[in-house]
Amino acid sequence: MIAGRGRRIRPPRRGLGTSDAVDFDSMWDVLASSLREIHTKNASKLSFEELYRNAYKLVLKKRGETLYIRVKEFEAEWLANEVQPRIIEELSQTLLLATSGTQMIATANEKRVAGEKLLRALKQAWEDHNLCMNMTTDVLMYMDRVYCKDFRKPSIFSASMGQFRDHVLRTPLSDNPDDQISIAHILNAVMLDQVQMDREGDIVDKSLLKSCAYMLEGLYETEDEDESTKLYLTSFEPEFLRASEEFYRLEGAKLLLEADAGTFCKDARKRVNEEEDRCRSTLSPLTLTKVKSVVETELIKKNLPEVIALEASGVKYMLDNERLLELELIYELSARVDPKKEELRKAVQARILEMGNDVNKATAAATHTLPKPSDQDGDKAEGEEKASEKPVSQQTTAAIKWVDDVLQLKERYDHVLTEAFKSDQGLQTAFSRSFTDFINAFERSSEYLSLFFDENMKKGIKGKTENEVDLLLDKGITLLRYIQDKDMFERYYKKHLSRRLLMKRSISMDAERQMISKMKMEVGNTFTQRIEAMFKDMAVSADLTSNYKRHVAELGDPDPKRAEIEVNVLTSTMWPLEAMAPSYNDGEDRPRCIFPPQIERIKQGFEKFYLDKHSGRQLTWQANMGTADLRAYFPEMKGAKKTREINVSTYAMVILLLFNDLPPGGFMTTEEIQARTNIPLNELTRNLQSLGVAQKTRVLRKEPMSKDVKIDDKFYFNETFYSQFQKFKIGVVTSGNKVEDSQERSETEKKNNDTRGGVIEAAIVRIMKQRKELSHQKLIAEVIQQLTARFMPDVNMVKKRVESLIEREYLERIEDREPAAYRYLA
Amino acid sequence: MVLRKDQIEASLQEEKKLIEDGKLKEDNPLDVSETFFRLCEACRCGDLKTCQETITEGVNINARDRFDYTPLILASLCGHFEVVQLLLESGALCERDTFQGERCLYNALNDRIRNLLLSYDYSKSTDPLQPLASHITSLLTREHPQTSDILVAAAEESFRLHKFILSARSPYFAKKLSVAPDTASWKLPSAIPPQAFGIAIKYIYLGEISNDVGGGPGTGFSEDEVLEGIDKISRQLEIISLWDGILESGDRRLARQRRTDEVDKGRNQLEAWFSNNVLKHKIILDTARAENVKWDRNNGVFADVLLRADESDDAFEIESPLEEDPLQRKPERKNGIPIGPLRQASRSPSRDGKPRKSILFPVHRAMLLRSEYFLTMFSSAFREAQATEYLHIISMDCSPEVLEVVLQFLYTEKTDFPLEIAIDVLFAADHLLIEKLKMKAAVVISTLGNGSMSQIPTRLDAAETSSPAPEELDIYDVVRAGWLTRVPRLEEFGARYLAYRLESYIDEEDFADLVRESANRIKGRQETDTIELLDDIRYYLSERFRLRFEDSGLEDMMEEEPTIATEAETDIDGKLPEDEGVDMGSLPNGDAARGDVNSSSGIMMKDGSSTIRTLDGEMVGDELEGDAINYQILLGKIEGLLTRLKLDA
Repeated sequence: MIAGRGRRIRPPRRGLGTSDAVDFDSMWDVLASSLREIHTKNASKLSFEELYRNAYKLVLKKRGETLYIRVKEFEAEWLANEVQPRIIEELSQTLLLATSGTQMIATANEKRVAGEKLLRALKQAWEDHNLCMNMTTDVLMYMDRVYCKDFRKPSIFSASMGQFRDHVLRTPLSDNPDDQISIAHILNAVMLDQVQMDREGDIVDKSLLKSCAYMLEGLYETEDEDESTKLYLTSFEPEFLRASEEFYRLEGAKLLLEADAGTFCKDARKRVNEEEDRCRSTLSPLTLTKVKSVVETELIKKNLPEVIALEASGVKYMLDNERLLELELIYELSARVDPKKEELRKAVQARILEMGNDVNKATAAATHTLPKPSDQDGDKAEGEEKASEKPVSQQTTAAIKWVDDVLQLKERYDHVLTEAFKSDQGLQTAFSRSFTDFINAFERSSEYLSLFFDENMKKGIKGKTENEVDLLLDKGITLLRYIQDKDMFERYYKKHLSRRLLMKRSISMDAERQMISKMKMEVGNTFTQRIEAMFKDMAVSADLTSNYKRHVAELGDPDPKRAEIEVNVLTSTMWPLEAMAPSYNDGEDRPRCIFPPQIERIKQGFEKFYLDKHSGRQLTWQANMGTADLRAYFPEMKGAKKTREINVSTYAMVILLLFNDLPPGGFMTTEEIQARTNIPLNELTRNLQSLGVAQKTRVLRKEPMSKDVKIDDKFYFNETFYSQFQKFKIGVVTSGNKVEDSQERSETEKKNNDTRGGVIEAAIVRIMKQRKELSHQKLIAEVIQQLTARFMPDVNMVKKRVESLIEREYLERIEDREPAAYRYLA
Repeated sequence: MVLRKDQIEASLQEEKKLIEDGKLKEDNPLDVSETFFRLCEACRCGDLKTCQETITEGVNINARDRFDYTPLILASLCGHFEVVQLLLESGALCERDTFQGERCLYNALNDRIRNLLLSYDYSKSTDPLQPLASHITSLLTREHPQTSDILVAAAEESFRLHKFILSARSPYFAKKLSVAPDTASWKLPSAIPPQAFGIAIKYIYLGEISNDVGGGPGTGFSEDEVLEGIDKISRQLEIISLWDGILESGDRRLARQRRTDEVDKGRNQLEAWFSNNVLKHKIILDTARAENVKWDRNNGVFADVLLRADESDDAFEIESPLEEDPLQRKPERKNGIPIGPLRQASRSPSRDGKPRKSILFPVHRAMLLRSEYFLTMFSSAFREAQATEYLHIISMDCSPEVLEVVLQFLYTEKTDFPLEIAIDVLFAADHLLIEKLKMKAAVVISTLGNGSMSQIPTRLDAAETSSPAPEELDIYDVVRAGWLTRVPRLEEFGARYLAYRLESYIDEEDFADLVRESANRIKGRQETDTIELLDDIRYYLSERFRLRFEDSGLEDMMEEEPTIATEAETDIDGKLPEDEGVDMGSLPNGDAARGDVNSSSGIMMKDGSSTIRTLDGEMVGDELEGDAINYQILLGKIEGLLTRLKLDA
């Protein structure tokens, strides 16, 4: 040192390290005795300041390491000599034996008492240790901050926790090196035992268990205190999960054997909830997901398929008996183990199909038993009409019943879906698929559905509020959604609609329009285009008629006897004309009806009027679809007024007018009538039947009196006819919409297939025009994709169409191309 | 977001207007005082010591001089990194989007300073009082340990408060509590909504008052009623500025300024209360009797604990010469030392040879909690935390002066203490785990202890006399204290200090010890084999001499070269200027020097004598060459030292 260096800065009061030897031992003695005091819970007399100062000084004098080691040694000694013996004292022989695998002799109660004793002792020891260590840490705060940080030692707190682990839990109980049983083992066994008791419904001290679990959570395998090395996770949890697995495997087998599906589900759910509760209140939330997955796998996943399939109480039973609560349980459980709920889906789908097929079968039975006799009578014209009248309407009812049944089924499953299955998306699509399957398996679905609409439009919606109508239509539309062959439906719907329109049978035009807009939304614009065109024709015709009336008035033809005419001009492409007169086969020219002169005149007048307006069009009169109002005078009728207004079909009008020319008492045979009117025979017989056979509307007298109309029957004007009504209607038999018989049906199908052929060809050409070249597979796929909205194209049909297009040189096969491919020829 | 230039100018204009209207206080008011001028000068030439001194004197470091310079701008412009750091640490503002702030940043001499400015929360300057304010605010909600001593009951709520804060902040409470110091509860007039009182309390506890006063549906009081209540309560408690503060609102800067003023005012109130009560009521008595002091819980200063500090045994040995030494270089600095009645009172008996004295400070746990040491102490289950009839006496392991500094910091955030006790404060702060005070002590040591380092010629001249001027501090102690308390700043400071005076320390045995210690520190950590201290010294050494070479310019040196020819010199002259910034340890000169040293001790001796000659000025007219030789010799000596200590570095 340089002499004379004055110091302005006062040297620190404490010497700085190197030179001065601290009296470590005396300081340590003070500290050690204080630590002992802390452990014996006499800390309140100790001075924090003094202890801290001592520790501080030791660290400052670079004795931190010694201090650290000494404290650790002190703790180890304390734990080994004071704490562990106390716990071993509490350790009863029963537990020792149980853990070492010796045969269990103890009763459950003994076991519980012994276990709780140990747990309590451990809990106490742990809490004491924690308390003491917190205080020790406070005192040694400076050491933790400085020494431990600089030398990267675990804090004294973690170190002492490690001591607790090693000296209390992990020290083998006996000196025998082979016998490694330690408190930790026994603790695990006891805790598992307690959990097992809890599961079996015995009452255990949950908070005690919780604090022991908490202790295990507070201890780590190493002093780094890595979260994943908690003793709880490394030593207890695996054992616990193993035990749980075993328990639930047995539980599952037992339940399956003893209980029905509902009970199983309730129990399973209860178990899951219990385990969740247990993790929260008794063990550690860390285990929650793990033990849940154990329960789910062992109890639910492995047993669920069997439960669902249970004959007497499984899903089928629940569905049939509307056990919504149980279904909900099943759903919940399935959702736990399988996001797709495969098993449940299969079961429910199977049930839907089954029930749907039942409905189909019932309907088929209803329609098939009855037509049989009519088929047999088919050869005989006589009597057939009358006989088939009843079954036909029955068939219609059956059709409507079918739709109703399907709707009911649908409603029921919708209910199940929303109430029990939480409107699960996957299940919903599965349901839809099942519905689609069985509805399309029933070949008459399109027709029946259309009939259903027809029926409702004609009668069903009478007196219903707008909302009810809306609901009804919506239901119908949902079924429409399931129908694949939408073109078939369209065909039928058009047919039925045209009748409704022409016969003015529709109750509400609003409802009709609503229906169309709904269909438009559901199936698309192209689908409803033609139907809309039909409506348009009707509107145009109404205008036309009134125009014509004005025109006639202007002409000033004052003939008072002149009949009024109302014409519906129908665009032939839009209206299913053949369908409306099904008795004519294609290609056969419809014979022109010979109208009575007064009518013929009007007809010609209208034709002239119309063709003036629209040149180049052709009008074909469809007398079979019209009606006429007649005023008839019955000279012999009872009562004052002898005239009646009768509404008849156009044909009937033509027939009746013939009788005007006959002298009183004159007659005509069927043959004569046919010759003079040129009405097709079957139409004629049908009309004559309603005029001369039907009880209430017997305007003509027939000889001989029988049900059937034969070619040489004679018809007289029935002068004694009486009707209590001033106005009445003589309906023509079978004019309504009803189920087709099988012949009609095959015709419809054939026509439909022809249309489809056209559509398919159009689609193929469209695609090929765009792509120029395409392989066979791709072409088929694209065609199907384009057309599915309308119908499900048959692959064979597509192939045929391709062939036909190749023949017509729209396409050609590309040579030597594997797989086969086509090229578009411009 | 950076404002465009015109935006900055617009806001500057606005600011000017506000200032003219007297609404806004100027951030940088003009200051033409002598002290401020000295500060500016010090900032220009990088005189850390003067800077610290003037700051301690309480000059406004955010003021501006006649040329609109603020000290920070000056320091940053002149490139004095340490000064900039000191200013920023002392609360100099450098705010983005203000005219002065941008000026400061754009004027920064180099990137190092620029980055420092940016890193110092350039965007939002921190309020140095914020920690104090937030601690006091937190007392309102702190559950454990329990520190409140008065319960104010309102309709439904009750507030647990602290008498000393109430009486420091509210004249009303001060009067009321001085009359009846043992009041344990106070009832709020029922006419005043609890919300209003809550706001008043928040204000008293230095919390930030929001504009939303609460009230409205569901609270039982409408907003107007709450406002009215605040009006009433602020008048009753005589804290009118609360009401003013609530009324005013709007401008962000105004609000912040008001907040700063409020906290400042609060601090001053606390300080006044601290010195009027805590310091005034301290008890001075013989150490032997200190244990027997019994203070009732209900005392006039509302203290709930007594801190005891013993006069040190050797107090007079150190202090006496200090007192009596008329040759003190800067006697005026004594004025900075808070020589209160305490010191005189304590000193006189010690001089009379009477028994040791102890001093007891009546203090409040609520404030002590700012130190983690006390927080742990009062939260623990030890004796100090137990409730007793009489106040606990906790003896502190430091001198009364130091304890007073610590207390002053805890109560008021103020830290001015002289260099003499700086190291003690450092240790006390380390002991009590008060990081901020530790830093402050380190700052004091490294600035005031610096001597006139910037004036190197003077230093060399002083060395010329070959009887070194009296040192202000034992640098070895400082370095060791730095190591012990883990303040790297002190080690750096020590290295710098030693480097600039190496010639007077290099041969001392203590220096060798220090180097050995430094080496051992590293060995203990088992890291690299460099010696941190020596690396630092080499670095500062190069800085010291490089400055000289740069001043003179390369060409001059080249001309001089033939005149004096030593091998080493050639090397230096040729290379040193180019190698600036490179770690000195790797310089070729080092090798050359080692060659010198290793060749023989004779050469070393000869070099040594030549140094002296140089320093003596025998080789007249060439100071620069002298420096170069000095540099070489010093480096050589370091190598020699290492060899001797058998340390490989």
